[in-house]
Amino acid sequence: MDINGDEIMRKKMSIRDIPKEEAMWPGNPACQGCGGSLAGRLVYKALGRNSVRVEIASCAPGFMNIRVPSFYAPAFEGAAAFMTGLARGYKLMGREDVVIAGLIGDGGTVDIGFQGLSAAAERNENIFWFTYDNEAYMNTGGQRSSATPLFARTATTPISDTSRGKAEEKKNVPLILAIHRVPYVATASVAYPEDLIEKIQYGKEIKGFRYMQINSPCPTGWGFEPKDSIKVARLSVESGLWPLYEILEGRRFRLTYKPKELKPVTEALKIQGRFRHLSTEESNTIQEKTINNWERLLDMDGKEIF
Amino acid sequence: MKSEVMVGNKAVAYSAKLARVNLIAAYPITPQTTIVQYLSEFVANGEIKAEFVNVEGEITAQLVCMAGSIAGARAFTATSGPGLIYMHHALHGTARYRLPVVMAVANRGVRTMGPDHTDMMDQRDTGWIQLYCENNQEALDTGIMAYKIAEDERVRLPVSYGLDGYVLSYTAEPVEIPEQKEVDDFLPPYKSTYPVLPENFDAEIEDYKKHWLKGKSINEPFTPYPADESFSHLTMVNWGPGHDQQWRWRSHQEAMMKAKQVIKEVDEEYGRRFGRSYGGLVDEYRCEDADVVIVAMGTIASTARVAIDNLRREGKPIGLVKLKSFRPFPKEEFERIGKTVSTIGVLDRNISLGEGGIVYNSIRSAIYDLEEKPLVLGYHLGLAGKEVRLRDVEQIAERTLKTANEKKVETFVTWI
Repeated sequence: MDINGDEIMRKKMSIRDIPKEEAMWPGNPACQGCGGSLAGRLVYKALGRNSVRVEIASCAPGFMNIRVPSFYAPAFEGAAAFMTGLARGYKLMGREDVVIAGLIGDGGTVDIGFQGLSAAAERNENIFWFTYDNEAYMNTGGQRSSATPLFARTATTPISDTSRGKAEEKKNVPLILAIHRVPYVATASVAYPEDLIEKIQYGKEIKGFRYMQINSPCPTGWGFEPKDSIKVARLSVESGLWPLYEILEGRRFRLTYKPKELKPVTEALKIQGRFRHLSTEESNTIQEKTINNWERLLDMDGKEIF
Repeated sequence: MKSEVMVGNKAVAYSAKLARVNLIAAYPITPQTTIVQYLSEFVANGEIKAEFVNVEGEITAQLVCMAGSIAGARAFTATSGPGLIYMHHALHGTARYRLPVVMAVANRGVRTMGPDHTDMMDQRDTGWIQLYCENNQEALDTGIMAYKIAEDERVRLPVSYGLDGYVLSYTAEPVEIPEQKEVDDFLPPYKSTYPVLPENFDAEIEDYKKHWLKGKSINEPFTPYPADESFSHLTMVNWGPGHDQQWRWRSHQEAMMKAKQVIKEVDEEYGRRFGRSYGGLVDEYRCEDADVVIVAMGTIASTARVAIDNLRREGKPIGLVKLKSFRPFPKEEFERIGKTVSTIGVLDRNISLGEGGIVYNSIRSAIYDLEEKPLVLGYHLGLAGKEVRLRDVEQIAERTLKTANEKKVETFVTWI
């Protein structure tokens, strides 16, 4: 089955279609150039104010001034459970129209929160989960998470004679969740707000479990100039390091942005301090893996997968 | 009113049904398992209209109840031993948000699968009210009263109640089931105090700011809500100058202390309406002219009643104090009892390693301010599910009486 039907239904969003109303108050103690803060602003702009926000231990509770009812789930491992409880509670109140949205860090998603996340996906809870992925435990000083990419330097994967940054590849949570057969899974980037908002506006009309993982560059943790956040995010997408795609019903895969030609990964990596130590060989390894992955995704594009 | 022979777990399930819970989240663990099974049957055949969440673990069960309760659901969960310990992190959260979630615990020790109270005692500092039950009827009645206590505006705290695993959970006894209509009259529907509707958000924030800017006393929560940190965007405000970060602990402690009165009132009202009451915080049995009392919890109290009857027949001046409410702890009751008796024997089906019997030490602390203090002896028994026989309790009672008569203590603490 192809997905053309959906594509006809969905209008491509332009920058003019982005809602004017801001859901975020001015004033924000996040680091300069914080990608997570920008992700939060865009997410709630797209969801609108008929939503609630759930957060757990991460940078988000500190820096998000969002004008919707907000709940701090008092357990790092418990975002999915807490969102489940809210979703069921709002249903009992007859308010299923309210979007139960969580703005969760990568650690709370891929590591400590993963058991609950998988369970909520399996139960197809009526929640919309947003991971602002800055690829490490940035709120506690930048320790490795399983969302940290290969060779990245973090506070717990330092560079020395015997250590070359993170030795393992990033855990691919969007695909893991897709194979739970949930209604909607997407990746997004703060450098592509039209793509991000369009996906959210599509996803918020769907009932059931929805997941979006947003590339959110962290100047403090990744080691680049705050002014370069968008540049880093854009280069990640254009080099194939962070592909933008969505998966409907856990099967129908679609790349939502296809650069005509991938840029070399070094363009994205060389401006980040966490990759400054890379040898040519290591750069080549990342380049090779990125191209392989991109080609696999191109094969899957527009098709049923799994 | 009808009567049915049922196991303790079924009595618990009936109590949740009669309390009209509408959110149930639980994970199976022996000896709690059949509570969840009975409830899922009630839900499946339409006897309970509730959201039933089959979760993947106890932390999730507790968090689902917590969040559901914020949104306005009357939430129920049940667990045992290791499951309760796994839930520990989330228990603090439910208490900190002052949510009237009710939880049944089929008490199971954490060193074996046998019944003891170490699982619930491990949670004593989480800020939950803790009640203990002696028989299946009491489990059913306590399950209903628990919501009335938890939802009282003076309290607004979660309530856990224990029934000894196996001894009650899997043992059948006749239980009277109250009429639904009478329970409805006793227990009005629950309403959340949290602001949860997006359309009211702006107005509520304005109220909040006005309230805050008035400069309320630093020791009182300056929101109309029991836990303003649910607004995490305002958390920073709470940390501002002039604000006492300790208020959450302080106001929680005050609510716990107020709960003593509420538990007594609810127990009395339940007695008036349904003909059964349990003494409030403690149930005193044949204590009127007693020189010696023994203190027991849960099913051991049942065995102790027989032992007391036997000794009374021999003319021994002994009574039983059944400790029903462990949190809040009935200090005033033990002070009053301490004034009239010469010796107290405390039966602990628990231990705090490095100190000893938890109830033993709590009672010693409770009577410390009395000018003339009774002797207090401690006995460990029934730990890890070790059988508690009638003659064990009789031996404890005799030993305590002997100490009272001879005014001489051989050992303060004895393992039975």
